[in-house]
Amino acid sequence: MSVSVAKQGYKLGHGHDEHDHEQVIYEETRDMRLLGFVLFLCSDVVLFSSFIFAYIYLRTTVAPIWPPMVGGHQLPRLDTAFAAVNSVVLFGSGVTMHYALENWKHGTRSKYNLFMGLTILLGAMFLGGQAYEYAHAQIGGWAGNTFGASFFTLTGMHGFHVFVGVIFLAVLWWQSSRAVYDHERFFGLTAGTLYWHFVDVIWVALFFLFYLW
Amino acid sequence: MATIAPGVKTGPYHAVLDHIHPEPTSFIRKYIFSIDHKVIGIQYMITGGLFFLIAGMLAEVIRYTLLQPNGQMGISAATYNQVYSMHGSAMVWMVIIPLVTGAFGNFVMPLQIGARDVAFPWLNLLAFWMFPVAGIILFSSFLVGAPDAGWTEYPPISLQGPPGTTMWCIAIFLIGISSTLTGINFIVTIYKMRAPGMTLTRMPLFVWAQFATAGLSFIATTALAAALLALFCERVFGVPFYDPSRGGSPVLWQHMFWFYSHPAVYIMILPAFGIVSEVLPTFSRKPIFGYKMIAFSSVAIALLGFSVWAHHMFTSGMVPWLQLPFMIITMVIAIPTGVKIFSWMATLWGGSIRWTTPMLFATGFLITFTCGGLTGFFLAAVPADYHEHGTYFVVAHFHYVLYGGSVMGLFAGVYYWWPKMTGRMYNEAMGQWHFWITFIAFNCTFMPMHWLGLMGMPRRVPIYDPSPWYVFWNQFASISSFVLAGSMLLFAYNLWSSFRSGKIAGPNPWGARTLEWMISSPAPYYNFKKIPAVLATPYDFGNPLPYLGLEAAEGATEATPTHSSHPVPTY
Repeated sequence: MSVSVAKQGYKLGHGHDEHDHEQVIYEETRDMRLLGFVLFLCSDVVLFSSFIFAYIYLRTTVAPIWPPMVGGHQLPRLDTAFAAVNSVVLFGSGVTMHYALENWKHGTRSKYNLFMGLTILLGAMFLGGQAYEYAHAQIGGWAGNTFGASFFTLTGMHGFHVFVGVIFLAVLWWQSSRAVYDHERFFGLTAGTLYWHFVDVIWVALFFLFYLW
Repeated sequence: MATIAPGVKTGPYHAVLDHIHPEPTSFIRKYIFSIDHKVIGIQYMITGGLFFLIAGMLAEVIRYTLLQPNGQMGISAATYNQVYSMHGSAMVWMVIIPLVTGAFGNFVMPLQIGARDVAFPWLNLLAFWMFPVAGIILFSSFLVGAPDAGWTEYPPISLQGPPGTTMWCIAIFLIGISSTLTGINFIVTIYKMRAPGMTLTRMPLFVWAQFATAGLSFIATTALAAALLALFCERVFGVPFYDPSRGGSPVLWQHMFWFYSHPAVYIMILPAFGIVSEVLPTFSRKPIFGYKMIAFSSVAIALLGFSVWAHHMFTSGMVPWLQLPFMIITMVIAIPTGVKIFSWMATLWGGSIRWTTPMLFATGFLITFTCGGLTGFFLAAVPADYHEHGTYFVVAHFHYVLYGGSVMGLFAGVYYWWPKMTGRMYNEAMGQWHFWITFIAFNCTFMPMHWLGLMGMPRRVPIYDPSPWYVFWNQFASISSFVLAGSMLLFAYNLWSSFRSGKIAGPNPWGARTLEWMISSPAPYYNFKKIPAVLATPYDFGNPLPYLGLEAAEGATEATPTHSSHPVPTY
């Protein structure tokens, strides 16, 4: 708090009318929400980390070979090429999200709309790709073996986060069209961007663990 | 908004909270779905108290069964399994964790930092209401067959357990979410909403303890959520994580579970440390010894607490080279804990001690918690643990730290802050009787368990060696535990009669110096008419109070001087 108090003290050294007071309320609320949101993402990281730990544990200390044997023969590896393309889609959406936020800050609304729309579209495409992959993965299903259990649980949780993210961004898009945010006050967009990048980063780990390892 | 004092930042601090919302008038918004942290704190206390009653009765069922060595005291062995599993689960998740964080954290912490509420009052409301829902789900599992694999619910037994085990997963998952939300809320509150001038090292030690606890809650609890989610999926959808016959591993559960549940023991004890750190200086009328060391040792315990979980698993078939680091780090935790114990003893040394009820409980805490800490040190040693694992020695150990530690700390806290919650005093003599009966009966209940455990009596089994020595000490422990339960009646009656017709307490009956005692009792809806500025730690007994700009509470005592009667300190 000492930092924010110092900032406000500095800002309001010139006097304090109603607008300044309201600005300080906005900034304090925004700072608190931002910190709270980042803490929420941290605890979400622990959720993923626990399942990643479970996957590594089952793979390295329990299974004699990986992919594990089922019914006398070894399960196939996952389709890395397809997942790589799908990953590019998701990472691309991270880039467009970044430009969406930057354009919002600069007030270039048409570009903001373009990039926001692209982000949502790419997010939805990633989900579609994942659905396709789920339908074609030959690893015995969610409840079949530990490979399927860890793969479908982790990517499913991630996919759920992407799904929530797509809805989150759509709501933000709608809100920004209804002038909920302006070019100085856009906490919702900041939170949405943070969340979207968080989903991206989790996917980096999952892509490495399931497709490259 | 002018310069308040040298060294205190100027500006319209607390702009968010300077705005006083109108107090709600409808009964429901005021007492049921309130967003006021004090009401939510008291709601936690009442709900946790009710669950304490139920979980305590389950404990008495256990002790009643153990009156006879043959397990023929009325309940079947299967029911016995359900009873001790539910006793442990309820005490950990529905009683101690919500009481130390939800109840005391909510009621006391915002007052102590000079805030008008927590950072996210609506989130607080949501987190609270998950708690009774989770409790009801947990206890209703008795209707379909309660979980029976102990509070730790190790697979594969928990995979084969009754349907209630699934409800257990849901209930603990819910309370875990609640605990995570509370942790996030408290960190933001403490980090962002302290009164101006209250630097981190001027915070009351209870706030430090809540800060460290909140960090543990929001990091560790989602690890438990993952473990529970996997157990739930395995039980309901057959997804193999833990079943060894399908490539899973029961030891995986133990890792995931203890990665949460070891930090959870610090979630349960750190706030009690905080309570004791408030009570001891107040009733010794001396500055607390080693303020910074007590504060930082809370954080050290929280950090170390993440790297010791596998000491619960020395006998689980872990690789041997991992046992040594886990043993050493576990023992290292004794250092920050010892720093606290010695600082508290040094605080008492040479103080003008007043033996009030909260002070008795705080010193009782010192004794019993230290015993529990020492046996924890034995259990951390791998060879000793091989002998003691799964015996009553472990039961004795964790009841010394959880009952002799957390619950004694909670009693100290209830008696200490009761006047602030209700504005009324309780019967001091009855409170002291409560302490002495609790202290003696507690030790008589749990001390013999050390000996029984060392002689090899296993936990979680209703049948034991029928030789007279075992029977005598079990009956001794059981009868003592009935007395311990009986002392709760005294406690309940005392609080009830105080609530009905207790003497009016006034704002500061103890002559304490933290901020919550600077306002009237019970604390008004908005807490502080004006947010005060803070110049120093609150523990410098003998110096003027380190607060400025505080409007004195109505009927302030000599311990609540207004700033006009004291010169501004020059530090």
